[in-house]
Amino acid sequence: MDTIIIDGLSFALPLFIMAIGGIYSEKSGITNLALEGFQGFGAFIGAMSAVLIANASGAAIEDMFYVALLFAMIGGMGFSIIHAVLSIKFKANQVISGVVINILALALTTFLTTQINALVFGAASDKFRLGVSERFTIDGLANIPVIGAVFTNVYPFQVIIIVIAIFAWYVLYKTKFGLRLRASGENPQSVDAAGVSVSKIRFSAVLISGLLSGLAGMCFAYSISAQFSSGIYMGYGFLAIAALIFGNWRILPTLGACLLFGFAKSGGMFIAQSMALPSSFTDLFMILPYVVTLLLLIFFSKSNRAPRALGEIYDKGKR
Amino acid sequence: MMSDYIVEMKHITKRFPGIVANDDVSIGIKKGEIFALLGENGAGKSTLMSILCGMYEPDEGEIYIRGEKVQISSPNHAANLNIGMVHQHFKLVEDYTITENIILGVEPISKFAGLFPYVGIRNANRKIEELSKNFGLEVDPTKRIADLTVSMQQRVEILKVLYREAEILIFDEPTAVLTPQEIDFLLGIIEGLRNSGKTIILITHKLEEIKKVADRCAVLNKGKLIDVLDVKTTSTNLMAQLMIGREVSFESEKAPAQFKEEVLKVEQLTVKNEDGFEVVKDVSFTIRSGEIFAIAGVADNGQVEIADAIAGLVKASGGNIFLNGQDITNDSIRNRTESGISYVPEDRQRFGLFLDFDVATNLASKQYYKEPFSNKGILNKQEFDQFGSQLIDKYDIRSGQGIKTQVRSMSGGNQQKAIIAREIELQSPLMIFVQPTRGVDIGAIENIHKMIIEQRDQGKAILLVSLELDEIMNVADTIGVIYNGQFQKIASSESLTTNEVGEYMMGAKHE
Repeated sequence: MDTIIIDGLSFALPLFIMAIGGIYSEKSGITNLALEGFQGFGAFIGAMSAVLIANASGAAIEDMFYVALLFAMIGGMGFSIIHAVLSIKFKANQVISGVVINILALALTTFLTTQINALVFGAASDKFRLGVSERFTIDGLANIPVIGAVFTNVYPFQVIIIVIAIFAWYVLYKTKFGLRLRASGENPQSVDAAGVSVSKIRFSAVLISGLLSGLAGMCFAYSISAQFSSGIYMGYGFLAIAALIFGNWRILPTLGACLLFGFAKSGGMFIAQSMALPSSFTDLFMILPYVVTLLLLIFFSKSNRAPRALGEIYDKGKR
Repeated sequence: MMSDYIVEMKHITKRFPGIVANDDVSIGIKKGEIFALLGENGAGKSTLMSILCGMYEPDEGEIYIRGEKVQISSPNHAANLNIGMVHQHFKLVEDYTITENIILGVEPISKFAGLFPYVGIRNANRKIEELSKNFGLEVDPTKRIADLTVSMQQRVEILKVLYREAEILIFDEPTAVLTPQEIDFLLGIIEGLRNSGKTIILITHKLEEIKKVADRCAVLNKGKLIDVLDVKTTSTNLMAQLMIGREVSFESEKAPAQFKEEVLKVEQLTVKNEDGFEVVKDVSFTIRSGEIFAIAGVADNGQVEIADAIAGLVKASGGNIFLNGQDITNDSIRNRTESGISYVPEDRQRFGLFLDFDVATNLASKQYYKEPFSNKGILNKQEFDQFGSQLIDKYDIRSGQGIKTQVRSMSGGNQQKAIIAREIELQSPLMIFVQPTRGVDIGAIENIHKMIIEQRDQGKAILLVSLELDEIMNVADTIGVIYNGQFQKIASSESLTTNEVGEYMMGAKHE
C-alpha cells in the first residue's frame, strides 16, 4: 500500500507540473500537443549538462540533480520557442506544429545523445546514465498510518513542484498577467482592444509550458528511468494533456486527474510485482493509466468546456 | 487662429488595395457636441473613426486634438488622448465578470503582505459601481457577461470607455442590436454624456436617431465628405438624399393585400434546442396566398427556429406543419423544397452560399440535380452558365467577372440578391425570408423589399423574420410578435403601432 502511494506521487507530480504548463499554453489560446517533445528535449539538455559537468568536475552524477533541473527548464523553454514562433508568428496550424515538434524531439535527442557519447566518452551509447535522485523522509509525519506514506521517501523535486504549482495558480488567477492570459484564450479581440499584445501573452504562455515540461522531463529521468534515453518518450506528455482536459483546464481538478493516473500506474506495477509475473507482463500493466484515460473520456467529454478561442489563429485585421 | 474644435481631421485620405476609403475628408468636432457621421455601408465612416482611434494610419492628412497636432499610432495612444470607442461588435470575454472585462489592460494592482502584487478586484468593483451610477448605467459589476442581455453588454462597453477616462466617445452603430425601448434609453444616455461635458461621435445610418440627438452631422458617400449639416435645420429627406446620392422612398409602395387560399398552416409547433430547452412553445399560425406574415421579436426568442423548422433545418419536437394541406412535418429538406418552399437563410454566408464557388453554380445549386442542369447524373455546364447569365440580368446582380465571379468577392447586398434570385426562380408557393436585409445598405434594402412585395402580389405566401421593426412595419400584412418562444399577439399590420409592437416584443403587454 505504501509503495503505491509513494510511487504514485512521484509519478503524478511531474505529470501535474507538465499539465500546468499545458494549461498556461491552452488557456492563452494555443493548442499544445508538444508537451511530450518539450519534456524530452528539456530532459535531454538537463541530462547532457549534468553528464558533461560531472565529467569535467569529477563530481558524482547523482549530485548534479539541481544543475540538471535548471538546464532542463532552460532547454524545454528554448525548444518551445519553435512552437511559439510557428503558431504565433507564422500562424501555422497548431496541431501539426505540435506533432512535428514531438517527432523532431525524439529524432534529434536520440541522434545527439549517441554523437555526444561517442565524442566525449568514446562509447557508442544511446543513453546518459543519471542514477536516482536522493530521497528524504520526514520522521514524525511518516509514522502516521496511510498518510505517512506521503512523507516517506520523498524526492526533493516533489516539494519543488508543489511550490511552483502554488505559484502558478497565483499567477494565473490573481495577477494581471493571468487575467490577460485567460482572456487571450477566450476572446483575443477583447485583449487587443484593451491595448494588450495578444502575441506577447501567448508567446510567454508557450514558453512557460516549455519550461515546466522540461522540469517534468528531468524529474522523470532522475527518478523512474534513472537515465536519459529515447525511453523518456513514453507518452507522458499526452497523459498530461489528458489530465488537463479531464481537469477542465483548471489547476486543482487537474491535480486530481494526475493523482489518479499516478496511482493507476503504481497500482498496476504493484499488482504485477506481487503476482510475480514475468517482466513481459509488467509491461502490460504499464498501460493501466492509458486504459483509465479511455474510460474517463466516456464520462468527461460532455461536460468539459475548452477555452473558446483555443487553437484559433489570431488575426489582428479580422473583424 | 485658435480653433474651438476638440478634434480636427484635415484632408484625410486612406487607401486600401483597389479602393479609396477616405478621399480628402476634413471634419472638425466641437467640444461637448454630438456629432453624427452618416453614410451607407462602405461610405468610409468606420475607416475614418478607426484612424481617429489609432487602428489605421492615414496615407495623407493631419489630425489635431485640442489644437495640437498628433499622430495616433495605436489604440493605447488614442486612449491616452482620452479617445475611446464603443465597438459595434462587443469585445467582451464572456466568462469574465463585468469588472474583469472593464479593467482588462488597465488593472489596478494591490499588494498582498506588501509583497505579492494582485489584481484588486474588490476596489475595482466599487469604483465601477460608482461610475455606473453616475452615468445612469446601473450594472452589477460581479455578474458574468454570459448572463447579460445584449443591451447590458453594451453598457459594459460604454463603461469600459468611461473607466479609461475618455472625453471623446465614438459610438459605432450602437443601436443596430437594440429594441426600440432600448434605443430610446441609449440615446438618453448619450445625451446625458454630452450634458456632462463629453464629446460624442455617433456613427450610424439611421436618420431618425440623428434627428433625435445629434447637433451636427457629416454625410459621407463613397469615401468623400458630401456636407456637414446642422441637424435642427435640415430635413431627414435631404440627409437621406445626400447619403445615397439620389432620392429614396422610405415607405415601400404597396397595393392592398389580396389574401387567397391558405398555403402554410402551423399547428402547435414546438422546437427544442440542443440543450433540450423549448425555444418554440406550442405555436400556431397560418399564412395565405398573397400575404406577408412577419414575425417580430428581439433576437433569440425562437423566431429563427420557427423558420428553420418549417424549412426542415431543425426537427419539430411537437406539432404539425402543413403545406397546401399536406403534412410535411417529417419530410426531408429536399422534399420540402420540391413541394414548394423557398428559403432565404439568416446567415447567408454559412447557409445560403458556397462562397468559393462561382455565381452560376450558386444560382443553380437548388436545381442542379434536375433536367436540364443534369442528365443521368452528369452536369451540363452550359445550362448552368446560361441560367446564371439570365438571372444576373434579370435581378441586376453585380459581379466583377459575370457568372464566373467567386461569390466570396461580391458585396453583401449582391450576395443577398443572388440568393433571393435563386429562391424566387424555384417558383415556390411559400417563401421564407429570415433577416433578408441584414448588413446590406439602404439602396439594396429598398430593392429587396420591392422584390418581396412583388412576390406577394404574384400570389406567394411569405414568411418574413426580421429584427428590424421598421422593416416589419413597412412590408408586413400580418404581424406576429414573438416573445420567449410564444406569440404575444398576431394582428394585421394596420391595427398595430410601432410602439405597441415594441412593447409586445419585450413581453410587456399581455392579453
